[in-house]
Amino acid sequence: MSESTAMKKLEELGRGMVKQIDAGEGPTFETTLRTKSNTLYDEGYGCLRTGDKKETRKYLSVAQARTFMQTVAIAAKTKQFLAQNLHTSIRGLFYQLKFSLGENLDEDLFTEQSESNGLIEDLEVALKIKREDLHLTTDRKGFLAGNMKIRDKFGGEETIIDLAKQGRSGWSIPSDVDNGMEIESLDADYVLVVEKDALWQRLNEDKFWKEENCLLVTPKGQSTRGTRRLLRKLADKKLPVYCLMDCDAWGWYIYWTIKTGSMNLAYLGRDFAVPESRFIGVTMSDIKEFSFLDKLTIKAKDVDIKRAEEMMGYPWINRHKDWVRELKLVLKTKKKIEQDALQGQKLTFVGEYIKQKIENKEWLS
Amino acid sequence: MEDDVFKQFREHSVAEFFKKNRQMLGFSGKVRSLTMIVHEFVTNGLDACEEAGILPELAVAIEELGKDHYRVTISDNGPGIPKSHLGKALGQMLAGTKFHRYIQQRGQQGIGAAACTMFSYITTGQSTKAITSHNGKKLTATISMDFKKNKPIIEVTGEEETEEHGLTVVSEYKDVRYERSNYGIFEYLRRTALANPHCSISLIEPNNEKTVFPRSIEVNPKRPFEIKPHPLGIKPHDLLEFTKHAVENKRISSFLQHTFARVSAAKVEELKGMLPEIDFNKRPDKMTWEEAEAIVGAIEKLKWIAPATDSLVPIGKEQVEASFRNIFNPEVLVITQRSPKVYRGGIPFSVEVGIAYGGGVAAANKRGEVMRFANKVPLLFDAGGCAITETIKTIDWKRYNIRNFDEEPIAVLVNVVSVHVPYTSAGKQALASEEDLMNEIKFAVMEASRGIQRFISGKKKANEIATKKKVVSRYIEQLSNDLASLTKRKPERIAKELREIIEEKYVDAKKEEIKPPEKPKENEGEKDE
Repeated sequence: MSESTAMKKLEELGRGMVKQIDAGEGPTFETTLRTKSNTLYDEGYGCLRTGDKKETRKYLSVAQARTFMQTVAIAAKTKQFLAQNLHTSIRGLFYQLKFSLGENLDEDLFTEQSESNGLIEDLEVALKIKREDLHLTTDRKGFLAGNMKIRDKFGGEETIIDLAKQGRSGWSIPSDVDNGMEIESLDADYVLVVEKDALWQRLNEDKFWKEENCLLVTPKGQSTRGTRRLLRKLADKKLPVYCLMDCDAWGWYIYWTIKTGSMNLAYLGRDFAVPESRFIGVTMSDIKEFSFLDKLTIKAKDVDIKRAEEMMGYPWINRHKDWVRELKLVLKTKKKIEQDALQGQKLTFVGEYIKQKIENKEWLS
Repeated sequence: MEDDVFKQFREHSVAEFFKKNRQMLGFSGKVRSLTMIVHEFVTNGLDACEEAGILPELAVAIEELGKDHYRVTISDNGPGIPKSHLGKALGQMLAGTKFHRYIQQRGQQGIGAAACTMFSYITTGQSTKAITSHNGKKLTATISMDFKKNKPIIEVTGEEETEEHGLTVVSEYKDVRYERSNYGIFEYLRRTALANPHCSISLIEPNNEKTVFPRSIEVNPKRPFEIKPHPLGIKPHDLLEFTKHAVENKRISSFLQHTFARVSAAKVEELKGMLPEIDFNKRPDKMTWEEAEAIVGAIEKLKWIAPATDSLVPIGKEQVEASFRNIFNPEVLVITQRSPKVYRGGIPFSVEVGIAYGGGVAAANKRGEVMRFANKVPLLFDAGGCAITETIKTIDWKRYNIRNFDEEPIAVLVNVVSVHVPYTSAGKQALASEEDLMNEIKFAVMEASRGIQRFISGKKKANEIATKKKVVSRYIEQLSNDLASLTKRKPERIAKELREIIEEKYVDAKKEEIKPPEKPKENEGEKDE
């Protein structure tokens, strides 16, 4: 999806509404319902996506007039960003649109960012574009190190960034990896995603990615859209994606978000999902295999238990027997292991652990 | 001794009696007395004008001469009074011819004007001054009365040629008070104007403030006509009273047929069959009380065709509407006119109700106002004991979207017209609780209330629609600007089109706002019970 397409789609949206007005009708805005009930699992592709249920919003409806006007305001504002080739965060957009509707109206266009956030998602769904295409950025969180070069067109300059030469800090994954950014060269055998920055730093220090010729990624917890999009692109380059998360439902769900997408952003669908990614650990079963881990377990928190119960209920998860087994163990033992525990016996053990898992194909998918 | 008492008693003329019992004529209370005085002359003026086919123009002026001491000047543009009738009209109690007429009339049984003359004289010692222009002659006279003999004393002070017609009466009163209250002259005239849209009334108050209640209809109402009384509703006393006027009838049987409506020869035969002991061939004026009682009793047992009711002349739907608009200019007005009914089986009456809501009613700060009328005469006093007030109290106003009757801008006019209005007393300010009458009043009020209810719920709906319209109109400017920047269309044009769409969408709503009340159906009220 290019920026010019986004521009066209915004104009189309406006033209459609003006056409309705010319015909003497109140303008309407059709978008796909983003409710849980309209979220389905696409078995063929292995990702979550929104169903076909549509919602038509009418300007001439008392309940919808304000949000309708706000949606169009976002569309007009982002069109302006595109025309000026400027980017901003969704918070920046909120401030751009947080102004009074006029002296006689004691009302602001937006009063809270929570109002605009949802409407941005509505626009993404309705126009079938990503917010990044509208020059809306999200905070960066993920880091990457490895044998890959990026051509980055930014601020009127073009730079080649060598991700193998980012030292201890690594390359910070931008929020938009599609516009103004290309993979210049790539020489890696697989992608390794570790949940926590601490572990990423451990493996970076251990020169793990150099030895293994892999791309070392940490989303630092739940993945941002940019990180997930990048993983998708790397998977498209036929690189296997291996994930190493905490041994608790929260960590596992981070994996599942990478794999199938989240329910919140189900509308992003396959562009943001990596169904072929594999989960190498940490599993409850590891406790048996690596005896030292047994002493390093900690008590699972209520949120972990609750999340595990929820995951048991998700049809795209509970169809996997080995995942059900793992989740049941969590519910039974009420224990968890952090991935940091792998350093418990020996700091560099974690590298060995990963290699062994990949080599023996000890993964859950 | 016994003879003395009897002699004294006989010498008590009607005038003397009322002089001692003036409250029986309504002269009780200072404010009320003054209102009653104006009432007497105003009703006489209206009747005189209407009878002569003249659109009434009345002028009332009240001057304060001292504490509780006023001069009252009342003029009408009626035909005036000929010299020969002046005394009877203004100086003799019970001199009127109205008393035994079976006709819808405002009258106060002819006590009216003479009672004022009397009241004036006994409180101030002054004679009443009358200027009457009748048949080209303008006569100025002072009138007082000989109470013992119930005889007028007239002194003509001037006589001249004139082309005008009308009557002006100037009289002074003490022991009365002017007040602009619900019982005062202002309110009385306001209501009189309301019920008599064909008249124009002006009032100059003691503070020199002049108010004109203008005419809203340029035609005099149809004249009610006299009908024969229906046998049902007649009391023995009435029957005996009628026999005195029936000198041309030689027999009771013919007297009954000639005096009363619906009494056929066949009906008299039925009565004869029921009352073998009574000689129907004897002279009617020889009828005894016992016989009268027996005849009335038999009459009540028989089936009768209801009396003709077309003799009644209500104010009229259009007339009430015109005067309501004129005086209140309410936001909504519903008039109900019930078809004539009879009470006590034989007395025709008819009820009309007007309910005004909002607008000028609210502006005049009137809340839950009940305006009672009998034969178009406003009843200001004795509201508590009146069938109209009592009936209105039984209405469940909440059913008609009126949450609290006493606090809402609502004015209810109830006019009862009848050939014989059942007043509770000689004061004639309250209607007796006749069941038939109360039912009719209730149905009429309920019928009109339904119209108000429709309006109020329509208004609520209209309010909702107006709010909706406001909401969707609120963002036109912003939306148009944004659509303009998405499309290169001029924002003004988009905004204009949007406004038109909204106008069109919400314009129909306005029309729904007030629907005229449905045509009243007979017996609709009963279904509602």
